Amino acid sequence: MSAAVMQATAPVERRDSSSGGAEIAYVSYGGEQHLPLVMSLVDAELSEPYSIFTYRYFVYLWPQLTLLVRLSLCTLPLTLLKVCGFGIFLMVSWFVVGIRRKAFDANDGKCVGTVVCKMGEHRGAFRGYIAMLVVLKPYRGRGIATELVTRAIRVMMESGCEEVTLEAEVTNKGALALYGRLGFIRAKRLYRYYLNGVDAFRLKLLFPRPDLGLDPMMMLGDERDGQHMDSPYL
Amino acid sequence: MLVDLQDGELVHGENFSLFAAMSALEIMDPKMDSGIERSGYYSIDEAIEDGIAPVPLSLDRTLDIQRTLDVIDHLFSCEATWHKGHTLAQTVFTCIYLMKMERISSHAVLNSFCRILRATCNSVISVVSTARTHEEEDLFTMSFGLPLNGEGDDKCLSVLNSVEETISRQLRACKSQALSKKKTLEEFESLQDNPELEEGYCRALLCRLRFRKHFHHVVTCMRKPQGRGLDLARKHVTSCLAELSSMLKSQEFLKSQSDITSQKGDESCTTASGCRPIGFDVSLNSRLLSPAPPRAVQILAWSDAIRYFEKLLHDLDIICALSLDPVLENVLHFIAQFQKSVPDLVPRAFLQTLLVQDGKLYGRDLFCDVISRALSLPDIIGDKEFQSNEFVVQLGQLVTNLLKILCTNTAWQRRKLGKSLQDWSTISIQLELALKREFGETRNVLADENMCMRVSKQLLVWSQEHTYWIASRFLILGFELDLYSPSEYCMVYWYMHVVFIKLIEKMQLRILASNENSRRKGKKKKDHSKDSVRDTPFPSSCLLLQCYVLLSEGLSMLLAALRKESKSFQSPSIFNTEQERFMQHFDLLQKAQIPECITYYSFKEAAAQAHMADVMKYNFFKEIQKIIPSLKGSFASEPEKLAELRQIEQVAEHNRIALNIINHVGASDPKLRVSFEFTHHPHFAVAVVKRS
Repeated sequence: MSAAVMQATAPVERRDSSSGGAEIAYVSYGGEQHLPLVMSLVDAELSEPYSIFTYRYFVYLWPQLTLLVRLSLCTLPLTLLKVCGFGIFLMVSWFVVGIRRKAFDANDGKCVGTVVCKMGEHRGAFRGYIAMLVVLKPYRGRGIATELVTRAIRVMMESGCEEVTLEAEVTNKGALALYGRLGFIRAKRLYRYYLNGVDAFRLKLLFPRPDLGLDPMMMLGDERDGQHMDSPYL
Repeated sequence: MLVDLQDGELVHGENFSLFAAMSALEIMDPKMDSGIERSGYYSIDEAIEDGIAPVPLSLDRTLDIQRTLDVIDHLFSCEATWHKGHTLAQTVFTCIYLMKMERISSHAVLNSFCRILRATCNSVISVVSTARTHEEEDLFTMSFGLPLNGEGDDKCLSVLNSVEETISRQLRACKSQALSKKKTLEEFESLQDNPELEEGYCRALLCRLRFRKHFHHVVTCMRKPQGRGLDLARKHVTSCLAELSSMLKSQEFLKSQSDITSQKGDESCTTASGCRPIGFDVSLNSRLLSPAPPRAVQILAWSDAIRYFEKLLHDLDIICALSLDPVLENVLHFIAQFQKSVPDLVPRAFLQTLLVQDGKLYGRDLFCDVISRALSLPDIIGDKEFQSNEFVVQLGQLVTNLLKILCTNTAWQRRKLGKSLQDWSTISIQLELALKREFGETRNVLADENMCMRVSKQLLVWSQEHTYWIASRFLILGFELDLYSPSEYCMVYWYMHVVFIKLIEKMQLRILASNENSRRKGKKKKDHSKDSVRDTPFPSSCLLLQCYVLLSEGLSMLLAALRKESKSFQSPSIFNTEQERFMQHFDLLQKAQIPECITYYSFKEAAAQAHMADVMKYNFFKEIQKIIPSLKGSFASEPEKLAELRQIEQVAEHNRIALNIINHVGASDPKLRVSFEFTHHPHFAVAVVKRS
């Protein structure tokens, strides 16, 4: 549907925390207390309007596919970060956040980004769909959007999705670069898709299929002389 | 059975899907509720009572004419905005005078203008609705709740003519009075009271009324069945353009007469005078649109509206210039060429309704006859057995659909072309099977005497040729729509060259068979197509395709070599590989076996064998330069084809040079930066080499 991310000029992905000891945590939707955070982010940054029904549709049916980004003041010393490496730090913060499961309040930090998705059967394929992606302007350029999307896609992949899709404005260079790096192609162009008259691209990511080992044509052998009477294609 | 809902729980209906959720609107949310942004009037009557749209527009006759001209100009800008993709309700019908036409029957000028405008809008909507290919552009035909059908609109031309006549006489009178230096005006005929200004206002009004008249004629003539009105339409197009030019000229006078303080002063003003018009309210119709969230509508500036109509008229003129010869190849080339200028919905709809009417080409030629003509089988035309043959009927239907699809906007067009590939491929396979069943195995199209078998084989080749033509168009439109990223150009060009090779093959077979038919007839029949006996073995259309093959293959190999040697144009991804991206881009082609036995592995193999040394050796770009001179001769009388040849020449030359530089410096040199730009041809990129 829509995304608000930084223009892709110099996509430097910094995974460590910024100076000042702020800590970035990624949390999946934990309940009603998270809904206003998601809504206010999306309402503020995206031009397309979504009703309360739309939000609830997503967060109630697929809470594991809505992620929020919390930026908070770090209580762990910086040296610990450097020693443990970011991966372990993240595990620790996930754990810490997990057991708390409360809304972010002024002491905890600020919600600076969110991604809202769904998945389900679509014309015979199990498909994930990224509906909304927002990162507040001051926090762009740090790879937060990429991380949000990557995590959401991993959940979809692990849940058995065969593909992931979304729409993005043709002018949204930042989003197009982000998704392009993750393996999405521009499958279609949708004329005047948005209310403001801008065209959209339908972006699609196809996961590798486990059964796709050999080239099926190689298995059939060289049958170029037209004798395809029993070919599966007829 | 009431259950207490806990905090965070909700009632969930089984069939409350995403569509339902998205369709729901929150009342009073300005992003969703069209009714919330209001001018303050709850109804048109209230606005009228408040004096928003007075009749006459002023008791001062000069001011009345000024304001009338502003209304006319703003309506002109609204009309152009509507054409560009908005609703009538938010553009043309924001005019209160138009919404309540009965009020202005006493105002001759405004009344006649509004009536003809409404009649023209009706006609244009009719054309677009008939075409029925405006799925994504359906805002255009939305007219719920609008007073579009007026009584007496069929007489709008005669009403306009009498007003035009009156003002014309007045203009002549002004001019003769100016010569004789008389100072008074004959009161009963004058537009307004200031003799100095009478001529200026007469001229300004006349060109606008005349534009409307001629435009109405263009639309009416072009709607005549079987293209009967096209020549007359061209004359009216010329008149329209002349009147537009006069309208532009009138701007200086109108600006000088308008009140400086009421001018907007910027380029976005919707009237020639620069003043805001009276009698319009943008939000009164908002409730007519209420199921949808409000869309931002920016009415085009008047000067942009003029430019829009100029382009529209030029596009319509090109359509009117169509020679209505029923040669399908020419029609396909015409549409492809026409689409290069990115025509809007209205001219596209006119083209489509001209080409396909009553299931016939130009409303005149049965598609089975068109097909038999394409196979150079004049004897077959009218043959009942041929006409009722199931394959011919299906092919006729496919051609009809193809023509309609080709007239739509390129984004929609590409999707539909892709989907149609399966149908074309299926019919080819069925034809092949039927041939084998009936006639066993033969490979030689020419050796056979059996007419039925020859016709069947030709049909097969013909349908295969068109399948590949559609496939090639599908692929190249991807460049126009910006669907490919640079790391995908290698595979796209590779697939393109494979498809072009097959297209040439089928085309040559078709031409050979056609020529054989002509030979059998024993006479040289007048052939509309360029591919007559003279041009064998390499007709110009095949040579042009050969250029495409060389460009595509050259670019593909260059990119493959660069990827190998400089590790550029790759895009590793954590979630999938190039194979998945290949499968997605070419999914529809692969499913339809276009071509057969082509897979990702075929591509990988070809790419693996690409080395800079080979790219230099085969020198695709230099080969093109050998072909171009003879093509220039063949296309001497066709300026558009010559223009494309020049573009191809440029691409070949730039790429040849770039290739030399890359080879000289060494592809693996880390200081080398190669990018691909579409600076000369929309489909074939030029390598740009930089050293960092």
